[in-house]
Amino acid sequence: MEAVRAENVSIYYDGYTAVENLTFKLEEGETLLLLGPNGAGKTTLLRTLAGFHTEYIGKLIVFGKHPLEAKDLISYVPQSHYLNERVPLTALEVVAMGGIYKRGFVHFKIPNEILKSAEEVLEFVGLKHIKDKLFKELSGGQKQRVLLARALISNPKLLLLDEPLSALDPSARVEVANILSKIKNEKGITMIITTHDVNPLTEIGDKIMLLNKQLVAFGTPEEVLRDEIISRVYGPLSKAIKIGSKLYCIIGDVHIHRGERR
Amino acid sequence: MIPEYLLRALLASIMISVLLGMLSPLINMKGLAFLTHATFHSLLFGAVLGMILGLLIGNLGIIIWVALVVTIFVVITIAEIENRGFTSDTAIGIVSSFVAGATVLGFGILYKVMASRPYFALSESIVSYLTGEVFLITISDLEMLIFGGFLLFLLMLFLYRNFLYVSFDPEGVESYGGNVRAYLMILYVIVGAIGALIVKTVGLITLQVVAVLPGAIAMMLSDDLRKIVGISLFLTLSIEILSIFLAYATNIPPSGITTILLGVIYGALTFKK
Repeated sequence: MEAVRAENVSIYYDGYTAVENLTFKLEEGETLLLLGPNGAGKTTLLRTLAGFHTEYIGKLIVFGKHPLEAKDLISYVPQSHYLNERVPLTALEVVAMGGIYKRGFVHFKIPNEILKSAEEVLEFVGLKHIKDKLFKELSGGQKQRVLLARALISNPKLLLLDEPLSALDPSARVEVANILSKIKNEKGITMIITTHDVNPLTEIGDKIMLLNKQLVAFGTPEEVLRDEIISRVYGPLSKAIKIGSKLYCIIGDVHIHRGERR
Repeated sequence: MIPEYLLRALLASIMISVLLGMLSPLINMKGLAFLTHATFHSLLFGAVLGMILGLLIGNLGIIIWVALVVTIFVVITIAEIENRGFTSDTAIGIVSSFVAGATVLGFGILYKVMASRPYFALSESIVSYLTGEVFLITISDLEMLIFGGFLLFLLMLFLYRNFLYVSFDPEGVESYGGNVRAYLMILYVIVGAIGALIVKTVGLITLQVVAVLPGAIAMMLSDDLRKIVGISLFLTLSIEILSIFLAYATNIPPSGITTILLGVIYGALTFKK
C-alpha cells in the first residue's frame, strides 16, 4: 500500500517558498531518509505531513487521506531540545502523553491501561528501568528513545522523526539508530527521518531524498549517495564511500543553497 | 475572641493561597509571567471601566464583574493573536499597549464622572484595587471568593496534567490529538479569573509577585511535581497568614508584607545557590 504520495507540492512559510514542486512516493513499511542543508525545507516538509503546517499547494496524501485526516495514523517526534524541560515530567509520564488524548479532554489521572502500555513501549526501547526518572535528567540518547516510545504508544502507521540524531554523541547515535532499526524490523512502521548524518541510518534507509528547497535526488541509497549528486548540495568536498556493502557519506562544511549553485 | 473582620481575612487568605499556590508553578513552568503581568494590568482597566459604569448607573457592585469580563476578553484576545502564529510576547505587547493606553484614558473619564457625583466610597475602592485590603473584605466578597475560587480550583485540578503537557510540548499534544488551543485558552482564562477574584484583597501592585514567586521558590527547592505544588501551596498559605497577623499587629498593609517576605526568601535562596 502507498504510505505517502506528494504530487507537485509547494510549501510556503511566512510568505516564502520553503519547498518547491516536490513529487515523490513512499510505500508502506519503507524508511525514507531526508537529507539537506539547514533551511532546505526538511522540517517544513515533515511538519506539513504531520498536519501542523497547511500552507501548501499540490496533492499530499498520507495512507489515502489528507494529512489532517490522517493524524490518528501519524506520530511526530520533534527535536528533543524544543521541549520545555522546566516541566518536571517523568519518562513514564512523557510516554503516556502519547496515549491519553484519544480518551477525551480531561485527564485528571493517567488511566492504568495507558500506564501499562507506556511501560511496554519503554521496555521496547530498552528503558523500562528509568521510567520514574525525570525526563530532564536523562542522557540525550535516552531522551530520544523516550520520545520514540511516546510516538509508538499510539500504534502509528507513519513515524515522522525530526533529526533524531542531532546533538547526540556517537555512541548515543548508534543507540538511537538501533532502536529505529528495531522499529522497522519488528513493527514495520513507515518512517520519514530528517538527518544531517546519514551514516548511522543507511542500513535502515530504503529511500533517500536529497532536498534543497526542491528535490535534488530521490531513490535508493545506491542511487542517491553518489559524489556527483551529494556535491550539488554539500559542495565538492563531499564524498560517498562504499566499505564492504555499506555506504558512507562524508559531508564537508560547505552547504550550497539553491540559487547559490554555479 | 478573634474579630470577625480578621476571621474573614483569614478565610480569604486560605482561598487565595489555594488558588495561587496551585497556579504559581504553572505560571513558572509555562513561562507566563509576562502574560500574568498583562492580565493583571487589564484588571485595572476593567476596574476603572467598572467604576465609571458603576457611578453612571449607581451600582458599584458591578466593578468586579466588569473587571472580570474585560480581563477574560483581554486574555482571549492574546490567545487568539498567538493562535494566528505570533509569539506570546508579541501578542501580549500588542494587547498591553492598548490596555495601558485605555487605562490612562479611563482614569481621565473616571475623574470627570467622579467630579459630578458623590464618590467617597469609590476613592477607597480605587485604593483597595491597587494595594489590596483584605481586612475590608465583606461577607458577599468572601462568598464570591470562596464559590468562584472553588470552581476555578476544580477546573485547575482536573486539567492540571493537560496544562503540564501543553507546557512541556504543545506540538506533541496536538500531534497526539489534544486541543492545545482550548487548553491554553482555559489556562489564560483561569489566570485572568483568579486575578479578578482576588485583586481586591491582594492588590494589583503586589498581585504579580504573589502569583509568580511561590512557584519560582518551590521550583528552586524541588524537582518533584507533587513537592513543587505542595511547597508552593504551603509557602503561599503560611506567608499570607503570617502577613495578616503581622499587619494586624503593626497596621502595615498585609499585601506589602507578603511581597517583601516572598522577595526575601527568593533572594536568600538565589544567593545561597
